[in-house]
Amino acid sequence: MKVLVTGATGFLGTVVVRALAERGHDVVAMARPTATLPEPASNVTYIRGDLRQRGEWVEQIKGVEAVVHAAAAVGGSFPEQFAGTVVATENLLDNLDWRALRRFVLISSFSVYDYSRGPSRMDEQHPLEADPSRRDAYTWTKMLQEELVERTCKQHDVPFVSIRPGAIYGPGKDWDAGSAMRAGKFDLLFSPLAKMRLTHVDNCAEAIAAAVDAQGVTGPINIVDDEQPTHARYHRACRQARADVGRAIYIPWWLAATAGLGVKFINSAFLKKGARLPEILDFPRQRARWRGYSYSNAKAKKELGWTPRVRLEDAAVKMFGGKE
Amino acid sequence: MNPPERRFKAAVIGCGTIAYEHLPYLSTSALVDLVAVCDRSRVSADFVRQRFNAKHTFTDHADMLAEAKPDVVHILTPPHTHVAIARDCLDASAHVICEKPMAGTAAETSDLLSYAAERQRLLVESRNYLFNDSVIDIRQIIDSGELGEILEIDLLLSLDFVAGPFGDLNLAGPGVDLPAGAVHDFLPHLAYLFLIFARHSGDVQDVQGRLSNLSGNTRAAFDHLDALVVAGRTRGRIRITSDVGPDSFRVYVRGSESSLESDLFNPFLRIDGPPNVGKRSSLGQMRNGLSLFRAGFKNLRNKVMQHGTYHGMPRMLDAIYRSLATGSPAPFKPQEMIDTARLGDRLVALKAKA
Repeated sequence: MKVLVTGATGFLGTVVVRALAERGHDVVAMARPTATLPEPASNVTYIRGDLRQRGEWVEQIKGVEAVVHAAAAVGGSFPEQFAGTVVATENLLDNLDWRALRRFVLISSFSVYDYSRGPSRMDEQHPLEADPSRRDAYTWTKMLQEELVERTCKQHDVPFVSIRPGAIYGPGKDWDAGSAMRAGKFDLLFSPLAKMRLTHVDNCAEAIAAAVDAQGVTGPINIVDDEQPTHARYHRACRQARADVGRAIYIPWWLAATAGLGVKFINSAFLKKGARLPEILDFPRQRARWRGYSYSNAKAKKELGWTPRVRLEDAAVKMFGGKE
Repeated sequence: MNPPERRFKAAVIGCGTIAYEHLPYLSTSALVDLVAVCDRSRVSADFVRQRFNAKHTFTDHADMLAEAKPDVVHILTPPHTHVAIARDCLDASAHVICEKPMAGTAAETSDLLSYAAERQRLLVESRNYLFNDSVIDIRQIIDSGELGEILEIDLLLSLDFVAGPFGDLNLAGPGVDLPAGAVHDFLPHLAYLFLIFARHSGDVQDVQGRLSNLSGNTRAAFDHLDALVVAGRTRGRIRITSDVGPDSFRVYVRGSESSLESDLFNPFLRIDGPPNVGKRSSLGQMRNGLSLFRAGFKNLRNKVMQHGTYHGMPRMLDAIYRSLATGSPAPFKPQEMIDTARLGDRLVALKAKA
């Protein structure tokens, strides 16, 4: 199949391109004009373009049969993220050859879920965030992006899969070894016993490639590895692999949440909810990151036939270079 | 003060970053009925309509003018599109509030203002900094005579705008399609602040300096302006740069009696002058130290409470709508906008000398 991958030189996109090529697909890999392209590979054609703006890419994507849309903004102000994620997606959808398209795989996020309600074991049935304005620009724009793609695919009767990965880690992206912040020689670890919804970038890319091929599979699919280490265990694994981490100071969830709730009360009672706080003190965002959940990957394993291959201990060694 | 009873049908053209600074006022003011939002991106316009309770969405401004028939239009599109859109709005009998720079040259600014006057419509260019707390304070101090005769004004803007969309080489075309490139987007703020602090009207006497590209970023075109300006007996420096950290917008106003220093991004106010001079200068330093200490807390509070550099915007918009409602003069006179644009022309002309 001729498969378009957007964000093809990003942290995840690079590995997705490789995984799709290994499965024998003809990959049209779209990279931004300033991106450094990898060495040429068989089955992969790189094209240049920025989805925020029409350009030559509009012609170059004609005839693609499947899309893996991994491009998105991950930082900046709300309008900047809106342009980089939502408007960019609108431009992509406006320029696709829908008659040729057989499948659309969107790389969404676990951030779209509502962490204030629902069961403590999260699966694809978990309710979506009811009020994204209380979270952050990333959550809000990813939700808008997902709605837009789902609605448009429905209009064109094209099967749509929303891949919702947890925290994707791998070489170059270690999520600060699980710490909330660095304070001198110390790492503050919030909610040390809560599980992290990690997925290794290779595992995640294999699930995405499988989703392209899994005819008949539609809807949201959560991607998390079988291993779901606690923040404390992940920090320890990084330290053992010689990561440059500080000495861990554990802040239990009840203490972090009490501080967050206290600040929330002050904000409501005295500041007319006008305060914008950092994540470590903002209760809705605290809850999304540090509240104790477990995460189901049953749908991905059953419907995609996916098995996470890379294990945490090995991944940590590859990320940081060795063991103590 | 009770608001006048008249409500104006307002519309917005352009739903990008700056729209998020105009729309909170438009969606809450008793003077405004937000009838339409317009953007070439349907998804942007739809989102903004929903978020700010606008009535209708359009992707073409001509359709919007014909169907929504707004009384006031806010033009918030990229600067090079302003003139043509403003004429369309004025032709549709709408008053226009236009983001800066309203036009690329003083001649275009003047023509557009004449065009509005012929149609008896208000046309104003945004000058939101004039409504910021610090600028209000500085103007009061200048007007009180505490500084004596104003002799020197330095306005130094350091902002890494090349790292943003203006210099984003992933995007084709110029970041700002005006003669001074990315620098042009900031010029009006510094030009009107200089003229207002100097209390100068008409052309300035002399402008020397250079407008250049120090980063080599082709999309930004120009990223550095350093100019010495003489306006009457006041001289000063206007500097815009993207390679000096941290981001700041320093204001120095020096008079025959006293001098003040402030920053419009992280506001503080330091005044050196009588009676704390000579042997008492150390007392002045202590007073300024305490003032800086208080400013630190205030800025922290402002940061948490989202009282940012655009906090003058709703005040400016309210002043404009009140002037429309009451028939009183607008907060900015056409001649002031032309003077600002003329100083802009002189600064842009420095590129020929680069």
